[in-house]
Amino acid sequence: MKRNRLILVAAAVGAAAVVAIVLILVAGNKKTATPTTNATATTAAPSRSLAGIPQQGTTLGKASAPATMIVYEDPQCPYCRSWNASTLPTVVDQYVRTGKLKVEYRGVVIIGPDSVRGLRAIYAAAQQNKGWSFADALYSHQGVENSGWITNGVILAAAQEAGADGQAILAGMGSSKVSAALVKAQKEATADQLRGTPTFIIVRPPAKSQQLTVAGLDPASFVPSLAAALQ
Amino acid sequence: MSLRKAIAGAAVLGGAIAAYLTVVHYSHISPICTSGGCEKVQQSSYAKVAGIPVAVLGLVAYAGVLLTAVVRGVPAALAGAVIGLAGTAFSGYLLWAQIARIHAICQWCVGNDVVIAVVAVLCVARALTEPDPPA
Repeated sequence: MKRNRLILVAAAVGAAAVVAIVLILVAGNKKTATPTTNATATTAAPSRSLAGIPQQGTTLGKASAPATMIVYEDPQCPYCRSWNASTLPTVVDQYVRTGKLKVEYRGVVIIGPDSVRGLRAIYAAAQQNKGWSFADALYSHQGVENSGWITNGVILAAAQEAGADGQAILAGMGSSKVSAALVKAQKEATADQLRGTPTFIIVRPPAKSQQLTVAGLDPASFVPSLAAALQ
Repeated sequence: MSLRKAIAGAAVLGGAIAAYLTVVHYSHISPICTSGGCEKVQQSSYAKVAGIPVAVLGLVAYAGVLLTAVVRGVPAALAGAVIGLAGTAFSGYLLWAQIARIHAICQWCVGNDVVIAVVAVLCVARALTEPDPPA
């Protein structure tokens, strides 16, 4: 075999290594944002979009709203984070604030062990009627899956942003009430044949509950689907 | 069978896997899954690179490999080797992410890992043996 050819192949290996390293760095980079950086950038978002909206347990909106949208989420799910950041404010402004719809949070474990810790914190915050605000704030801290990112510090910071009592959340995470809420949500997810998060179920009695099929999670794709389902 | 034909066949197979996952991604449907972890993997942050679904990157990569297989010559063989080796290394990283970070295995991803590794071996073999152009 010619020496020149070996040199060319070695160069190809080197080029491939460079391409792979760049891909890995880009893929890893988005997950290395520190919680404090994210928290600073988005601190105002949760309170602004949900301000003035009644929260009762895991329900966001007026109890008298004729329709309910159940939202299955996992606090580690990046698509859930995206939906909460980009689309929930529009849904709140157009449907929840106007009393047409209430939104019910159902947390399920899709990604892994850290999801359980995050959900326990969310359900503990829901006992203060701050579940939605806390979940929203927790998304702003979202870190690498199952890396232990939901530390006590993150929970306290998210609680502060949500206007909740962080110490009470930490104390309540292991309570039997929270455990029961997690089990209930998981059972409901099974009954609803949940296959991923976020999943949206529209409940509008006397019509049968239906899973909302959406073309995308951005407001332009999501809101028309919601409007059609509520007609 | 010539190396070029083998590479083309493997690229079509890998491209079919990537195309399926691309359709699943944009259709917001669940992939057929017997390993139980496809949903987790598809919904994790590792499913995208700079906002681009990994399945789309795979589709582009396999199209590139197929193109290099169609074209004769050392430059095409070397280009195929670069794509195959880079794809194998990145697939290895994603396999690590599935095991160590997501704690779930997606059968389609593992299938792709095998195919891209085969592509890399075939492309390197071709790069080493492709005849030089006539002087």
